[in-house]
Amino acid sequence: MGIKYVFLVSRQGKLRLVKWYITLPQKEKAKIVKEVSQLVLARRPKLCNFIEHKDTKVVYRKYASLYFVAGIDMDDNELITLEIIHRFVEVLDRYFGNVCELDLIFHFQKAYFVLDEMIMAGELQESSKKTVLRVMAQQDETEATENAERGWGDIK
Amino acid sequence: MNPLFFSPPHSPGILASPTSFRLRMFEKSLTDLIQGLRANKRNESEYISKSLEEIQNESAAIDKLNYLHMLGYDMNWANFNVVEVMSSAKFSEKRAGYLAASQSFNQDTDVLMLATNLIRKDLASTNFMEIATAELAMDLFDDVLAILGHSRPYIRKKAIACLYKMTLKHPEGLHDFVPQLKERLDDPDPSVVSSAVSVICELAHTNPRNYLPLAPKLYHLLNSSNNNWMLIKIVKLFASLTPIEPRLAKKLHGPLSSLICTTTAMSLLYECINTAVVGDIISVPLPVTDSIGREIDFAELCAHKLEVFYDSSDHNLRYVGLVTLAELQVRRPDLVVNQYETILRCLDDPDMGIRMRALQVISGMATRRNLSQIVKRLMSQLILSNTIALKPGNTEGGPDEDELESTPLIDPSGVSLVSAKGSFTTPKKAASSSEPNAADNPEYRLAAVEAIIDMCSRQSYANMTNFEWYVAVLVDLVYIAGVDVGQLLSQRILDVTVRVRQVREYSVRMMRQLLSDVRLTDFVSGESPHAAVLSTAAYILGEYCTLVPASCDDIGLLLFPCLRQLTSDQQAAFVLAAMKVYTNWLQDVSGYWNDEVWELVRSTNTTTMDSITSLFLGQEGDDLDVVVAELPLQVEGLLRSFIEITKAVSVATSNMSASEPPVCRELHSLFTMYELNPVSAAAQGKVPVPDGLDLDSWIGDEIPDTSLRVLPPPPPPRQTRAPAQRNYASKDHKANRKDQPLGMLPDVDSIPVMQLDLGDLATARPKPRKSDKPKKKKKSKSSKRHKKPTPEPSPPMVPVDIVGDEDMPDIPTKPLNDTPAQQPGSISGDTDNAGAEQPASPPQQH
Repeated sequence: MGIKYVFLVSRQGKLRLVKWYITLPQKEKAKIVKEVSQLVLARRPKLCNFIEHKDTKVVYRKYASLYFVAGIDMDDNELITLEIIHRFVEVLDRYFGNVCELDLIFHFQKAYFVLDEMIMAGELQESSKKTVLRVMAQQDETEATENAERGWGDIK
Repeated sequence: MNPLFFSPPHSPGILASPTSFRLRMFEKSLTDLIQGLRANKRNESEYISKSLEEIQNESAAIDKLNYLHMLGYDMNWANFNVVEVMSSAKFSEKRAGYLAASQSFNQDTDVLMLATNLIRKDLASTNFMEIATAELAMDLFDDVLAILGHSRPYIRKKAIACLYKMTLKHPEGLHDFVPQLKERLDDPDPSVVSSAVSVICELAHTNPRNYLPLAPKLYHLLNSSNNNWMLIKIVKLFASLTPIEPRLAKKLHGPLSSLICTTTAMSLLYECINTAVVGDIISVPLPVTDSIGREIDFAELCAHKLEVFYDSSDHNLRYVGLVTLAELQVRRPDLVVNQYETILRCLDDPDMGIRMRALQVISGMATRRNLSQIVKRLMSQLILSNTIALKPGNTEGGPDEDELESTPLIDPSGVSLVSAKGSFTTPKKAASSSEPNAADNPEYRLAAVEAIIDMCSRQSYANMTNFEWYVAVLVDLVYIAGVDVGQLLSQRILDVTVRVRQVREYSVRMMRQLLSDVRLTDFVSGESPHAAVLSTAAYILGEYCTLVPASCDDIGLLLFPCLRQLTSDQQAAFVLAAMKVYTNWLQDVSGYWNDEVWELVRSTNTTTMDSITSLFLGQEGDDLDVVVAELPLQVEGLLRSFIEITKAVSVATSNMSASEPPVCRELHSLFTMYELNPVSAAAQGKVPVPDGLDLDSWIGDEIPDTSLRVLPPPPPPRQTRAPAQRNYASKDHKANRKDQPLGMLPDVDSIPVMQLDLGDLATARPKPRKSDKPKKKKKSKSSKRHKKPTPEPSPPMVPVDIVGDEDMPDIPTKPLNDTPAQQPGSISGDTDNAGAEQPASPPQQH
């Protein structure tokens, strides 16, 4: 019932982030990502944000040039998944400060960390934007301190 | 950003050392890699293989690997390095390492053992991963369980999610986990509670019974919480609990209805309504007070609130609204009926998903009143979306006339037939010029056709008021479906024609028109979607040819030039139909025998023989027996009979006689000795096997070769015809079989089954109805096997394909008797046209 996968794909079909919450062989994953992104990219505007793909309901939303895509079970709540996606984007936006696709490209690991804070094992883990941002800030701080100690500066 | 802050000289020799590996991690920074990747858009794979090499050989940052992994490149070779990084004392490196591990490790990863120990060590600190494998779960379970009581909520909530994944792989752990989870429901930190609820929701989905004891606590949360995220999960959770504990439905009635009335969050509203409908809480007979204080039925409240969804301008809401409406319809169809207009609007939605859902709902809504309107709507969608819409002239003046007016149909007059042919064979191309239309989607078209047929034929045509209209619709669908539904359509056409006596005459005329449409018959082959329809048409024309004025032109229609392209079963259907039509015509003209008729019979006979010869026998002068014996088995026997008939007729008419030759008058009675009636598929089982008949014993000599056993039995004419005909057919049959190298078919006439068919059964059971039935059964069975089209080449002999008789009554009286009574009282506007239509259709007079 939880989220099966989340991925971000650009309008050109380039993957920007993939996270799987179910176990599948690598090949299978790649196939699904490919098929679903084709489906999503082929959608025209003003259609609904849900597509049925095999036994999965695909919930997607477009932000600027980036599509945020999540796969959920057929009987799951599509609207709340859309909310989760939106929440994720909001947090990213706060974290990076006016996030754009390039942020996600060059700091994809940070995006992963944010996602991990919010969604774990396919379930929404933390719905509070504040908490997520606080935790992220703490972790970044730890990292920065360490690097400063070793004289490496802020390496990202 | 300082990528090259620390870069030791390149020395591959010390790669194995963890220290050097870590030291050189940042030699070429992640940014460089990504930038390089972007700079090399053209030859990305080249760049990546180069970089991979670099990473392998000189320096590696786990993040780089992560990035490449995301792009789909294998990074298993670096697993060991990942573990190394995970074990780093630095938080930043550890973080990267864990990310890499959670992304790329799987059950078969070889370094898992290392990872397990490492994770155990790290659990004392803050971070852990969420990949779970059986061993990992087993090894780590206790450790994670221990930190579930950790002082910091941040850790507790992560531990809960982690344990959930672990129990999936290590179910024994549930035993310890569930009590802990229960405690977590009382956790002071809301996100921990929410996490616990989510996990319970997941677990309860697979095995609800174990979580019933938690219901009171959850119920309390449902009433007290105002966290919508969690409420949705709780509502969902109750949706899985209610089926096993019906008393819960009553309990939930209150909170759910108040949530539905008060919440402003659409997602929560949706979840509540969905749960109420799916969990059947709407059937709890308690009144609800709605927002303005009226008392209404809970189900009505849900239906009322649902309107907001599917009436909304937001596509997403429309979609989920229709999904739930379909569920509601299953339980309370009465509440959905009022929404007819709205749903009809949704049918034209540009979104496929919404359309499909609307289609599902609308087909459930069909009643006698609105059936024709809905079908009309769907048909016009099918027509408008693609320009193939060519249309035979048959429905002009037909019951669905008004539908045709609104559609750009190609004029069915002779001129446009030729031009239409091109677009007919390439329907998709023609349609693609316009902007993409959901109705062009083959999936949707198929669903629409199926919905139409389902609505019309549901419950033995319960919704049907005008059968001629239905036949016209089916015939139209042959033209406009645009997807391969030939098999389905032919089944339905046959079904309605056989079961509804009143429509047969009309149906025969329609079938004749189908067969005379060169757009269908040209270039047809066994695989083409129209082949099935055409052979069904042939069967109907042959079987019921007595209902329309006889015409010798029909013979030509049936022996059309592309006949040999069809499958052998389909060919057999045409040959048999041609035989019936021919003999019927002979009988007809016998009634007014004179010189002209004599001439005509002679010439027609010659033409028919010529058609047979050119179609089946190839060169003149070939040995007829040899050629015929090479034909498919189903066709062979029929063709022999046909040839004999034409020979007999030509002998009988060689000299002009004052009165008609008896052979012309009597031949058709071979086919009309008794009428075929539809029987249920199960009817065969009700017929007791006659004494002394062993169905398992071999007929004749045993056939050694197994592959021959699946051959169909000898063709039906010999089996089911009157004795005169049988002898007639079998004489030449015997003669021919002698020459056959295989000699595999037993001598049909000596088979005892034959006598049972006609005589023994009737005498064995004195009750007239019962003795009637097996006879009909046998006849319809055997004749259909050959006359009726079957898609599979040479079907095995056992299963009989009496089409569409799954829901057929043993005695087909009901639809028949109903029909005349229905028509006068019908509300449908089509009925009026039906009356006008019948005389309008010109009978094909010879």
